[in-house]
Amino acid sequence: MLGEPAVEERTGAADMQAPPSLAQGPLYTLRVIRACMKKDIRTALTERVFTIISVFVPVNVLILMSLFVLGGSHAPTAVVMYDTGPLARQFYTAMNNAHSFSLQKTSAAQAEQMIRAGQIVAVVTIPADFDARVRANQPVQVGVQINNLNTDFTNDIRRAVPLSITTFYAKAFPDVVTITPAEHDFYSQDTDYVPYLAVSILVVGLMIGGLLQSGTASAREWEHETIKELLLSPASRWAIVAGKMLAACVMSLASTVVVLLVLIFIIGVYPAHWDEVIGFNLLFLLIFIAFGTLLGTLLKNRQPVTALSFGIAIPLFFLSGAFGPISFDTPATQFLAQLFPVYYAIVLEQHAFHNFRLNTLGTGGNVLVICAYALGLLLLTTWTLRRATVSH
Amino acid sequence: MFSSLSTFIRNVLTIFWKDLRVWLRQPSTVAATIVPPLAFLLVEALGAAAVGRSPVALVVQDTGVKGAQMAQIIHNADVFRITDANAQQARVLINNLDVVAIITIPPGFTRRVDAHEPATIDVTVNNLNLDFTNDIRRSVPDAITQFYQAQGSASPIKVTMNEQDLRSQDVSLLQFSVLPTIGLLLMIGGLITGGLATAREWEAQTIKELLLSPATSGAIIVGKVLAGFLTTFTLGLLVFLLADLLGWTRPQGVYWLTTLLIIALVSLFSSGLGVAIGALLRRIQPVIAISINVALYLFFLAGGIAVLAFEPLWLQNIAAFIPLTYGNHALQMAVFYASADQLGRDITVLSLSALSALALGILSMRRGLVR
Repeated sequence: MLGEPAVEERTGAADMQAPPSLAQGPLYTLRVIRACMKKDIRTALTERVFTIISVFVPVNVLILMSLFVLGGSHAPTAVVMYDTGPLARQFYTAMNNAHSFSLQKTSAAQAEQMIRAGQIVAVVTIPADFDARVRANQPVQVGVQINNLNTDFTNDIRRAVPLSITTFYAKAFPDVVTITPAEHDFYSQDTDYVPYLAVSILVVGLMIGGLLQSGTASAREWEHETIKELLLSPASRWAIVAGKMLAACVMSLASTVVVLLVLIFIIGVYPAHWDEVIGFNLLFLLIFIAFGTLLGTLLKNRQPVTALSFGIAIPLFFLSGAFGPISFDTPATQFLAQLFPVYYAIVLEQHAFHNFRLNTLGTGGNVLVICAYALGLLLLTTWTLRRATVSH
Repeated sequence: MFSSLSTFIRNVLTIFWKDLRVWLRQPSTVAATIVPPLAFLLVEALGAAAVGRSPVALVVQDTGVKGAQMAQIIHNADVFRITDANAQQARVLINNLDVVAIITIPPGFTRRVDAHEPATIDVTVNNLNLDFTNDIRRSVPDAITQFYQAQGSASPIKVTMNEQDLRSQDVSLLQFSVLPTIGLLLMIGGLITGGLATAREWEAQTIKELLLSPATSGAIIVGKVLAGFLTTFTLGLLVFLLADLLGWTRPQGVYWLTTLLIIALVSLFSSGLGVAIGALLRRIQPVIAISINVALYLFFLAGGIAVLAFEPLWLQNIAAFIPLTYGNHALQMAVFYASADQLGRDITVLSLSALSALALGILSMRRGLVR
């Protein structure tokens, strides 16, 4: 048994022993909660590799997703300028301002080599007689070679070139092209994709952290069979659950703080409502920790709990309106998203950080839904633990 | 010589069968491996219909011909999901977040266009993130350009786009996403199966018996990798066949073989890497956590949710060192374009990566023997 903690230490049973008269008192309950919490925190700290990984997982996801979203918003494009006249240059400027391209001027041979090597996705060729033909009001074709790998990205280019053409004409010949869009924005400034997405990723970070910490702590009791002692002790089920959840909460807070620091100081997303950030995130942690405890109690094994904690988080993240309001999505996606608390959590988190309103429930309505989930999960977890007593 | 070879094979098969049986006895772990990528595929399938087609409200306040023409072009543009509305209804729709923008063709539009006076199309956009906003910013001018193009030789816009596609066919976002997702499944499956099978020996302390037995560490590793390979390959193949049944992936003729070969090589690489990680860490919990992290890193860095060619050069350079990049490339070529373009390079990189993972596993196991 070298290196194995004593049974009492592992279960926290020493702290729970109490005279019968005290067994149902509030002080005793508090001691049980404290003992369970202390024991779970200590155990988590002994599994250093796992704890460190679970703390940094959300940051990893944040970094990786941001990198690819950041790159994907501007298509790397080569422009072959056979004409360098003022109109051709104006057209180049119009393309540059289209918020769609990452442009570089190259020769035709270089452009061909780069698109074949997959370094760029489009080659725009401005013909030698561009200026002359445009001035003479004669048709002129701008060559656009596209690496049409995937329609989502390719269509962005297919739309961005006409946008550039119209913008070019509207600037160069305002009396000829008279139809122009007049844009009125809802918000005073645009929010870039990464700052928007990063806030949604914070929710997924809370979810992974909460599920991992609480799920593995619960499942560990079953794997080590220490659950017997916990359930046979005079401690109430809910006090045991509360203690374990508090421990998971403390551990998950580390992960939350790391993501928050990255979000604020590296990505530069400053919360619009600090009070909401603190309150909502604690509320979300409660839900995810309750769900993790339930998962651990049901599966009774840390392997599937860990795998599912990661595995559930990524699809749920994509499902729950992480990229924009869910109402812009398909009805099937909307229906499924609204079944899970992650959706409401993302709505609230976006309000806390960006002051965005992403559904019509209002802040209070979304908080109520989240609270209902939290209560439901807590009751379900306690009930499952109670049922587990019988079947074990 | 023959006797030692047959002993080696017998040892490999024994380890292989043992690990396979243990894996089959753990349906929850099997489910935990396969459910997430399947759920991810489902989410992608559900969401793909909305990508690139933003919901907008169209308000036509002009009663003239040009206004009607413009409205028709916007309807036919296939870049919007349009709800026809009056100004008041449109306001309600955008306030309820049912639409991302209101496009208004104002009264007097036809008269202004005919008189060559400035005529605006009003676009009220919920600019809460640039992805949606830029889609609208591109789509409305696109519609205006089409409006002018429809005038033929009378159009004042003489500059047109002459598009030439590099590839014979367009591939939809969903189809494109299926292959990296299968790659993710193969990576998670191989890493977790191989890693757990190895780390479990240390946790259950059965590694002592294995290492003290006459079986070589090479035979132990190969047996474990084989078990991980078979389970991962089977799961990957099942998901690929499901995608094929749904019409998402359709390799033709000989390219089925290429596809199977690449799935096999990625499975071998991930299983080998899993066994190596398991032998290095020797604890189940860290193995699972690190395996999933490694799989996610490889998935993202190999362009899992994006198109590598659209990424900056420095990201493309990083991707060049990720074996899964070559797996994704070879699968794309075989499945979408019936092409063997750079297949030799892809197979070589994947094979070398698998061999390196095996060598790393053997090395880690040897370290265990010394200790």
